[in-house]
Amino acid sequence: MENNEKTLLKEFAPQIERTGIQGYVWILFLLAVIGLGVYAFIQQVTKGHIVTGMRDNVVWGIYIVNFIFFMGVSYAGALISGTLHLFKTAWRKPVIRMAEFITIISLLIGPGYILLCIGRLDKLHYLVLHGRIQSPITWDVIAISTDIFGCLIFLYLAILRDLANMRDFEELQLPKWRKKLYKILALGYTGTEEQKKRLERATNIMATMVIAIAIIVYSVLAWIFSVTLQPGWHSTIFGPYFVIAAVYSGSAVLILTMWFFRKVYHLEEYITKKHFVAVGVIMLVLAAFFGYFTFSDYLTKWYGSEKNDELLIQLLFKEFYWPFIISNYIGVLLPLLVVGIARLRTITNITLTSVVVIIALWLNRYLIVIPTLQSPYLPIQDSRVEWNIYSSTWVEWSLTAAGIALFCLLFTIASKFIPIVTVAGNTQEAKPEDVLV
Amino acid sequence: MKRNLYRIIFLSAIMMLFAPSLVPAQEKTDSSAVQESRLTFSYLCTSNDSVCLTANLFVKKESDTYGLKNATIEFLSTQDNKFIPLGSAVTDQDGTAILSVVINKLHPGKDGMISYTAKFAGTLKYTKTSATFIAEPAKLRLAFNVQDSIRYLNVIGTRKDPKGQDVALPKETVILYIPRLFSLLKIGEVALDEQGKASFEFPGDIVGDTLGNLNIIAKIEENEKYGFVQGTAIINWGVPKQYYKAEVPSRELWTPIAPLWMIITLIIMLAGVWAHYVYAVWELIMIKQASKKDQPPL
Repeated sequence: MENNEKTLLKEFAPQIERTGIQGYVWILFLLAVIGLGVYAFIQQVTKGHIVTGMRDNVVWGIYIVNFIFFMGVSYAGALISGTLHLFKTAWRKPVIRMAEFITIISLLIGPGYILLCIGRLDKLHYLVLHGRIQSPITWDVIAISTDIFGCLIFLYLAILRDLANMRDFEELQLPKWRKKLYKILALGYTGTEEQKKRLERATNIMATMVIAIAIIVYSVLAWIFSVTLQPGWHSTIFGPYFVIAAVYSGSAVLILTMWFFRKVYHLEEYITKKHFVAVGVIMLVLAAFFGYFTFSDYLTKWYGSEKNDELLIQLLFKEFYWPFIISNYIGVLLPLLVVGIARLRTITNITLTSVVVIIALWLNRYLIVIPTLQSPYLPIQDSRVEWNIYSSTWVEWSLTAAGIALFCLLFTIASKFIPIVTVAGNTQEAKPEDVLV
Repeated sequence: MKRNLYRIIFLSAIMMLFAPSLVPAQEKTDSSAVQESRLTFSYLCTSNDSVCLTANLFVKKESDTYGLKNATIEFLSTQDNKFIPLGSAVTDQDGTAILSVVINKLHPGKDGMISYTAKFAGTLKYTKTSATFIAEPAKLRLAFNVQDSIRYLNVIGTRKDPKGQDVALPKETVILYIPRLFSLLKIGEVALDEQGKASFEFPGDIVGDTLGNLNIIAKIEENEKYGFVQGTAIINWGVPKQYYKAEVPSRELWTPIAPLWMIITLIIMLAGVWAHYVYAVWELIMIKQASKKDQPPL
C-alpha cells in the first residue's frame, strides 16, 4: 500500500469504524420510513390493488414511474462511472465510487417497483415458464437481470484494490469477522504486476460492457412504451430520449450524493467546487439534449394533429400544467442558467438545481405514463369515470418513500463498508488544484 | 443567514408549484351536508314478453356525477292511482339497478298505458328521489326468409290492446343493429306498415362468428308512446370468421415462437455480453491464483 493511500485510509477510518449518534438517528429514521412502506405493502397484499390508485384504464401509476426513475439513475451511474474510468478522467477518483454505488443500489431497488405493480405475484414464475421472446416485457426481464450481473462484477472489480487496502491496513479497528470478510473479498490481491494487469484488463472490459448494456437496457425499457400503440408512447425517438433522460437524472443524483457525503463525512478537501462544476457541466450538456429531444417529440405530435395526440397535449397543458412546466421548462432551463452563468456556479446552486432536475425528471416519467393511460385510443368495455382518472394513494406514496429510504440506507451501509472516495491510486494528482473542468 | 433565507424561499417555491397539481383526489373533503340524489329511469320492452326497468341513482359533485352503490330501488306500477309493487333491486357500483318484469303481470290503464315508478327512500346522507315512466307494452319479433337467393329479415311489431291481445304496431321506425366489439353496428332502418310488418334485404358481407352466426337486434328507440322496444334473434347469415394463422413466426400473441431474426439477435447479444462477464470472472480467478503463486513457501 502506498503512503498516500494509508493517509487517505486513516482519514476515512473513523467513518468506517464507528457510527455516531447522528448516524444511528439517521438509520433509525430510514428504517421507520421503510417500516411504513412494509405496512403499506402488507395492506396492498391483503386488500389487493384497490388500495392503490391503479384501475382498469390507468393500470400503471407511480410504481412504474419509480421503476423508470430508479433504473434511469442506475444506468446513469453505470454510464458515468464507465466513461470516467475508460477516459481516465483526472478528477474521477473522488466521485466515481459514488457513481458505482448509485448504479448497483438503484438497480436493486428499481425492479422491486415492477413487482408492486403485479396483481398476481403468485403467478410471477409464469413470466419465465411461459415467457415469449417476442414480448418486450421478456426483453426487459432478460436485460435487467443481465445488467445486474454486469454491474455487480464491475463494482467488485472497481472496489477490489480498496478491499485489499482495507485488509492490509492494520490500524483499522474493526471486528474480526469484518477483517476476515475483507480478506476473503480481496482475493489475495497484493498489487503484483500480473494482478494489476489482469485487473486493469477486466475493469476496462466491464467498463465498456456496462456502458453498452446501460444503453441497451434503458432502450429496451423505452421500447416497452414505444412499441405500444398509445398516444404519446408510439415514438421512434423514445430509446435515445430515455437514455438521455436517464443520464440526466443520474448526473443530478450524483451531485446530490456528492453534496450529502461531502457535508456528512467532511470531504471538503476531496470533493471540491471543481468536482461539482465538472459534473454540473455534464448535467448542463444533458439538459440541452433532454430539452432538444422533448421539444422534438412534442412538436411532431402537436404538428401531426393526430386526434388522440392532440387530446394528450391538451391534457398536459391543462390538467397537468404545473408538472409539465416544471418537467419540460424549468427542468431544462435551470441547469443551463445556473451552470452556464459563471456567477451562479456555486456548490449550493448546483446542488439545488440538481434537486429541481431530480423532481423534474421524476415528473417527466409521471407525464409519460399517467396522461397517456388517461387518454387511450380505444376505450375499454364498461369503462367508468373513476377508472380513467389516476389518483395516487398513501400506500403508493409510502412505498415510494420506502424506496428512497432504502436507497439512502444501502448507500449509508455501503459507505460504512468501504471508503466512499476511491482510495487506491488516489494520488496527489486528484487533489483539487489539478482537477480538470 | 441571507443564504439560508434564499434556500427556504427557493424550496418553498418548488413545494408550492407542486401542491396544486399533485394533491390526491382522496384528500378532497366531502361535505357533511345531505346531498341531493338524482334518478334516471329507463324502460325496455323485450321480445320475450317482459319489460326491463333500469334506474340509475347518482349524485352530482362539482362537475362530475358519481353513481351510488348498494342503494335499494323500489319499482312500482300505478293503477287507479294506487301503487302496485313490482319488486326491488340494489344498485351496483355504477348506481344502476335493474328489474325484469313479465308483461302479463302488469295492469294497463284504459288507454293501454302503464305507469312505472322507481323510488329511492333516501338515507341520512342522500335525499330521497323518484322517477316515473309511462309506456304501452309493445313487442318486436324477427323472422327470416330467402327468396330467389336473396335473404330477407322480416320485422313484426305488435302491441297489447286493453284486453291484453296482440295487435299490429303500425308506422313505427325500427333500427336494425348487429353487436360488434365496442358498440352496435347499424345495418339498416325500416318502417313498419299498417300490419306492423317490414322487410329488409339482408347484407351478405357481415362477419359473424366461426359458424357465421349473427346476433341481430331490432329497436324502436325513444318512442313517445312505446319507449324502448327491442327484439333479438340469431341467424347464421354472416361470413364465418377465419382466424389468421401466421405462416411465418411473427410478434403476434398466437405465434408459438419468435421470428428467427429476433432469436439470432438475442443469442448474439446475450452470448457477447455473457462471454465478457465470464472473461472478467476468469480474470478474477486468475488474480486469486496469482496471489497463491506469490506466497512465500512455508
